Amino acid sequence: MTTLDTAPVAAPVASATRAARAWRTLRSSRTALVGLTIVAVHVLIALLAPLLTSYDPVANDASHALLGPGWEHWAGTDQYGRDVLARVLYGGRYALGVSVAATVLTVALGTVVGCAAALRGGWLDDVLGRVLDAVLSVPSILALLVIVTALGTGPAVIVLAIAVVYVPQVVRVVRGAALAVVPADYVTAARARGERTWSILWREILPNITDVVCVEFAMRASWVVLLISSLSFLGFGADPPTPDWGLMVAENRTAITVVPMASLAPIIALATLVVGLNLAADGLSKAWGVDRIREGS
Amino acid sequence: MASIVSVNSLSVSYRSGGRDVPVVHEVSWGVAEGRTLALVGESGSGKSTLAGTLLGHLRHGSRITDGSVHVDGKDVFALPARELRRLRGTTVAMVAQNAGHALTPSMRIGRQIEEVGGDVPVLDLLEQVRLPRPAELARRYPHELSGGQQQRVAIAMAIAARPKVLVLDEPTTGLDVVTQRSVLDLIGALRDELGLAAVLVSHDLGVVARMADEVTVLRSGRVVESAPTRRLFTAPQDPYTRRLLASVPRLDDAGLALVGETGEREIRPRAVLSPEAEVAVSARDVTIDYGSSRAVHGVSFDVRRGEVLALVGESGSGKSTLAWTLAGLRTSSGGTMIHASGDLARLAGKRPLDLRRRVQLVFQNADTSLNPRRSVGDAVRRPLRFFGTVQGRTQAAARARELISDVRLDPALADRLPAQLSGGQRQRIGIARALAGGPDVLIADEITTALDVSVQADVLRLLDDLRRERDLACLFISHDLAVVRGIADRVIVLRHGVVVEEGPTEAVFAEPGHPYTRQLMAAALEPDPDARPLAADVADWADAAEPDSVWTDHGHGHRVRRWRPVTTDGTVPTERTVTTEGVA
Repeated sequence: MTTLDTAPVAAPVASATRAARAWRTLRSSRTALVGLTIVAVHVLIALLAPLLTSYDPVANDASHALLGPGWEHWAGTDQYGRDVLARVLYGGRYALGVSVAATVLTVALGTVVGCAAALRGGWLDDVLGRVLDAVLSVPSILALLVIVTALGTGPAVIVLAIAVVYVPQVVRVVRGAALAVVPADYVTAARARGERTWSILWREILPNITDVVCVEFAMRASWVVLLISSLSFLGFGADPPTPDWGLMVAENRTAITVVPMASLAPIIALATLVVGLNLAADGLSKAWGVDRIREGS
Repeated sequence: MASIVSVNSLSVSYRSGGRDVPVVHEVSWGVAEGRTLALVGESGSGKSTLAGTLLGHLRHGSRITDGSVHVDGKDVFALPARELRRLRGTTVAMVAQNAGHALTPSMRIGRQIEEVGGDVPVLDLLEQVRLPRPAELARRYPHELSGGQQQRVAIAMAIAARPKVLVLDEPTTGLDVVTQRSVLDLIGALRDELGLAAVLVSHDLGVVARMADEVTVLRSGRVVESAPTRRLFTAPQDPYTRRLLASVPRLDDAGLALVGETGEREIRPRAVLSPEAEVAVSARDVTIDYGSSRAVHGVSFDVRRGEVLALVGESGSGKSTLAWTLAGLRTSSGGTMIHASGDLARLAGKRPLDLRRRVQLVFQNADTSLNPRRSVGDAVRRPLRFFGTVQGRTQAAARARELISDVRLDPALADRLPAQLSGGQRQRIGIARALAGGPDVLIADEITTALDVSVQADVLRLLDDLRRERDLACLFISHDLAVVRGIADRVIVLRHGVVVEEGPTEAVFAEPGHPYTRQLMAAALEPDPDARPLAADVADWADAAEPDSVWTDHGHGHRVRRWRPVTTDGTVPTERTVTTEGVA
């Protein structure tokens, strides 16, 4: 047969085009770019905190307590005489560290369970659905408080508690996305080969829902950051004197009329991080959505 | 006669990646009142874009770069929005390809037709499109109708406001041959009754030959040839038209047609099957249930190595269900299916690896049968590694390239993503993937249905080559009798999950014994306006099989399920003895 019909397009390597396309998609969305930049700045500040300030965030200095903003302390000091700016800069470490760990765990667990439910279907899907409904019906902060009270505080417990609270929601979203992929013939072909659930999940389904998972990650991260700060504010999260934004607001709210910056600064930091994550999630989902429509899938 | 539609050197381009891609290039054509023009072409020829312009519709991102479209004396693209709305419906109306998608699912049929406007009462319209019991039907929802009925409703909506021009965009694609035939008859009758001009967009030359007065052949947005139907089909001028016509499989081909560059046809004789060829799959009285309804009733067959066995039937006949069951994707509820290396009654996951490897399925829709995020080379390498046919990455890669060239593709395509391949190329990769395990049974489930006719010819030829080279037992599932005629050695005709006729291809096509087979053959459309149907239309009939005498034997393995004629007034002749003899 004479049909060695190679199209005139140069053949690029698949993975390279994928990366290039992801970058193009990203660049096409200003929202996503702004959001990711804000998040990146936050990460950089948290990492470089020791270089940005010479103050120790946990050292008390009674002689300099409750100072207003000035040349020595740009954002003033709190009731123990600690530099507010230093505590805000270091505070990002706790917030980001715990949030990233919790979000990674939540999204990873949720993705695997969600894909498996979509792929296996049947009784597994039914039972799982009802169990998740039950978990979802409990308000998240309440469930979180119960777990933390029972198991004690500490970053590991909080990460675990957040996973329990948020995994059901991730499972819902990912299962929905995976259900759209499961009937495709390439999944059927893998089934006919007799591949294991895990390898179908990894090879056939996951690559086709990475966009959903990424958006879910960014969206979920912003919720987790807020939830962790709420926990700290309520006194169940970070232990004093750890520099943490939620904790700082709680400690300094009594002195809010004297040194408003001590409460305001962590709030601004928290707000910008959450807004950044939200913008990134929003921009990414839109950019990818448009991308999908263009591809006609 | 005055032209009611005239398109003058129209060019349309689509904006993509910062540059203009022309989709239609200086195309001119016109339709006179009461005439039917067909726009014919393969996918990507711009035929649907052209049809859309008659209603002032352009796909998002495309624009007119030159030329004009006049309908009933008005320049469509110069009309203000209000006038354009009035033009659509009252002057031009469109019947879309997939009526199931064109109807609003949550609205009753009657209201939906009313909404179009027009002065003709809804019930009259439904009666006009030959729908039974219009009053009852008007109260139903779209999902309660069959595909053919939905298409009739869509036609009723199109003619509600008594337009002058009817645009039919692939009106019967996706319908069964029998339904297609009746919808086409309806369109033809309405056209004559209402004196409509029609523009028919189709890739199916059989449909065009039956419906059109004039034909315009398009290729990549340019007019290749334009001629009255009879002249185009008897004496095509352009080599492309000739090749297109030659690619269409015919009901009287004795083998697979090989089409040359300029459209000459050469019929390749069927492969001769050695009488000692071993049986690869043997199925006995297989029944398959969907919940409480039975999809396949006791089907038996043998497929031998090197043989192509065709399963033919309309949608809902259970042919795909049977294919999926053989591939281990559904369980059967009765009967036995035996392969030389094991029992096929079990699901794929429970079959031994060697059996899974030997029975492979090729899917109908090449667009969804490859993972869009993985390179096509990866799609072929995976089964190679999985079945342990080769050891190591480099060997797998080398073998995958070999397989890709075995399906007559450039091995350099291995690094591409499926989206970068054409439909025909993707289908070949699908075949290469099935071959990776080194199967001896290949189940081809409507593998050419979604392909253009010239690509279909190539894929069929590839399949024929492969079964000769590799001595494959091939179960070829299709609803298209003409395709089956060229490639299959034996045919099984399925109706509602029951085998009504089976036998060697030649015998079945020469003397179709069962009225259902004859009905299918009568409904098949040949690309020839003067074609006489291979089988005459059939009278009503009823099944007359009894437990101890199911078949009427016609010799040489050709047998027909017993049936008896039913008189048109609905009474059944009582004397069974007279009529149990199958009429040949």
